Amino acid sequence: MRRPRLVVGSILMTLALLAPGTEAAKKLRVVATIPDLKSLTEAVGGDLVEVDALTRGTQNFHEAEVRPSMMLKLRRADALIENGVELDAWADVAVLGANNPNIVRGAAGRIEISRGISLLEVPSTRVDRSMGDVHPLGNPHFSLDPGLAPIITQNIVDGLARLSPDDRPVLESNRRAFLERLDREMARWNKIMEPVRGAKVIAYHPDVIYFLTRFGLVQVGTLEDRPGIPPSPQHLVQIIRLIKAEGVKVILVEPWNDLKLAERVAAEAGAKAFVFASAVGAVKGADNYIAAIEFNVTTLAQALK
Amino acid sequence: MRARALAVLVCFVGLLAPPATAQEAESLKKEIEQLRKQLESVTERLRRLEAQPAPVTPPPAPSPTGPPAMAPPPPGVSLAELARPRQPFSLYAQRGAGQLLFDIGVTGDFVGNLTQSNVEKAQGGTFAGQENRFFPREVELSLFGQIDPYAYAEVRIEAGEDQRGADTGVSLAEASVTLLTLPYGTQAKFGQVRNRFGYSNVIHEHDLPWIDRPNVLRNFLGAEGLKEKGVEVTIVPDLPFYLEGLAGVFNGDNETAFGHGTLRVPLFTGRLRTFLELGDENAVQLGMSVASGETTEKQRDTLLGWEGRYKYRPEGWLHPLLTVTGEAIYSFRRVLVEVDTDGDGLTDLIRKRERDRFGWYAGAEVQPFRRWAAGVRYDWSEFPATPGKERSVEPYITFWPSEFLRFRLAYKNTDRTHRETPDANDGSAKRVDEILFQGTFILGAHPAHPF
Repeated sequence: MRRPRLVVGSILMTLALLAPGTEAAKKLRVVATIPDLKSLTEAVGGDLVEVDALTRGTQNFHEAEVRPSMMLKLRRADALIENGVELDAWADVAVLGANNPNIVRGAAGRIEISRGISLLEVPSTRVDRSMGDVHPLGNPHFSLDPGLAPIITQNIVDGLARLSPDDRPVLESNRRAFLERLDREMARWNKIMEPVRGAKVIAYHPDVIYFLTRFGLVQVGTLEDRPGIPPSPQHLVQIIRLIKAEGVKVILVEPWNDLKLAERVAAEAGAKAFVFASAVGAVKGADNYIAAIEFNVTTLAQALK
Repeated sequence: MRARALAVLVCFVGLLAPPATAQEAESLKKEIEQLRKQLESVTERLRRLEAQPAPVTPPPAPSPTGPPAMAPPPPGVSLAELARPRQPFSLYAQRGAGQLLFDIGVTGDFVGNLTQSNVEKAQGGTFAGQENRFFPREVELSLFGQIDPYAYAEVRIEAGEDQRGADTGVSLAEASVTLLTLPYGTQAKFGQVRNRFGYSNVIHEHDLPWIDRPNVLRNFLGAEGLKEKGVEVTIVPDLPFYLEGLAGVFNGDNETAFGHGTLRVPLFTGRLRTFLELGDENAVQLGMSVASGETTEKQRDTLLGWEGRYKYRPEGWLHPLLTVTGEAIYSFRRVLVEVDTDGDGLTDLIRKRERDRFGWYAGAEVQPFRRWAAGVRYDWSEFPATPGKERSVEPYITFWPSEFLRFRLAYKNTDRTHRETPDANDGSAKRVDEILFQGTFILGAHPAHPF
């Protein structure tokens, strides 16, 4: 008689442990693949969402390692917000290990924010890996272009409203408030960047083209030989010549790239190398979307003077 | 009467029709003329634009509160301008209806080895029967992607040289469907799969962190590891920590460990895997596996496996600085032994005996640079049904010219307690020294690697 009770008790206890927490019912649990999207989701979601990111700003998003801790975050998620355009394709492997039908491809909770973005650097010729880690669909590093925030946030609002239609007015209102603030900041950033418009820069990896184009700067080359391929000595010699010939003052380096090498090249060519916020959280003080752009604008304007 | 009325109606319509057609033609003519003028104007504008030098500075940044994704075109922007392909022309748009709805990738894994001639004669090297040769071990075509909103499929077809000679065999390495939308945090996978038994069994040859599969896996599960046809279900419960449970039912075709190959007495598998992150820089994965089935002799064989993997990745690094991996397998196997009770050289009875065997390996790899890594693996293993044991030490070095190309070089020293005397070919594999080398490439799509 005792044994069946014990078994039933154990099963009930196990089920209680496995059941999702009551706290989860109150807020949408959202996971973003990169911290830029986490910050934007927090801005439009406000108190309605609880957001986590799968990667940190100091990481190279192309080469994120799929850890079971990612699967743990995704296991409980109501929504997964991804950049798309092959930047975070590894998310598929994490989703596969998370056993969560809410966020598999095609589910309402899978939100891709590249929808409607006019991509830059879309190859116009046949591409292959001899060109390095090239993206056939276009450059995927658009999330820190403030001019694209309206499209990205609209995609986030649309995605979250699919899951919680009653919250759409609040999401829309949060989005408007955020974009109004961003608009004010944009006017200020434009003023700061006005004197250096047209300046030429070198990027370590081609992940800053949207930001540069937005503020009227010109990327004349990259330290990488080709995307994702470390620079050869011959390439570095060419880059030094280019920097001198074009009067380039700045080399932009991602926190995960080789700053020492960039500094050596800069010293040789008479330029400056500095780490920029390639993502939210990439450098100290760039803790949210606006702070990251603020960091890049002020640091670049200062360096290019 | 009715026919007459119909004839009058037809005549009336016939009389009206020509002027209406003429009117339409006139209107169309005008429209074409207008379009021609528009086209001329656009062509002229395009010609003028192309003649201009490229602007140094792009146009000023638009307001971030600008139109959303689906907003109508702003006033002043012509349709021709909107229709103009973005810089540069979009490849994606050109793909059109012929776009593949799944990913394709090819991996090529070529290995070679040099060893003593007595080892070659005894076929006692790491790649048994392929000593002192360079050969394609695994050239694999992978097709993978979503079938529909509910399922994911993966097909891997591989070709490789199994024996000495010019022939290359082609076989189905994997073909499976994963059902993604099952309730209660579960997933089911069916088809032919590499079983999730321990850390390295599930990994294909070209993806292994070493040139060769560890001795303990080859001894207990065969040269290719455990690859079975059946179903496995995983559960990831909603807990504060990561825990994955797995249960599977398979044919049991693996001849080294099982071999009965029937669902009447299937092979059962199970695994528990957990993961701990000790801060941002340190991570550990631990797991336990079990596989139980019947051998070709219709005797039970149960394997227990333990696995552990630790990675240390300093903040901001693109790769781990230190990776430590280890696995162990314990086998409880019942075997049939022929007994000669009266010493006449003939089998008088067959007895069942228990064989408890054990094996393990541990390896450490250091990767101080993005493109270079060096490591060492130590193997110690008994044999599941025969006496003896072996131990190996294998230092190696890896070089990646890019993410898609890799070269490895290793030295492997193996000591065995058996094969004390040379065989009929004058071969012996008691002490084996080998130089192993490997070249691997990836062409096209390749899914990201889990931890």
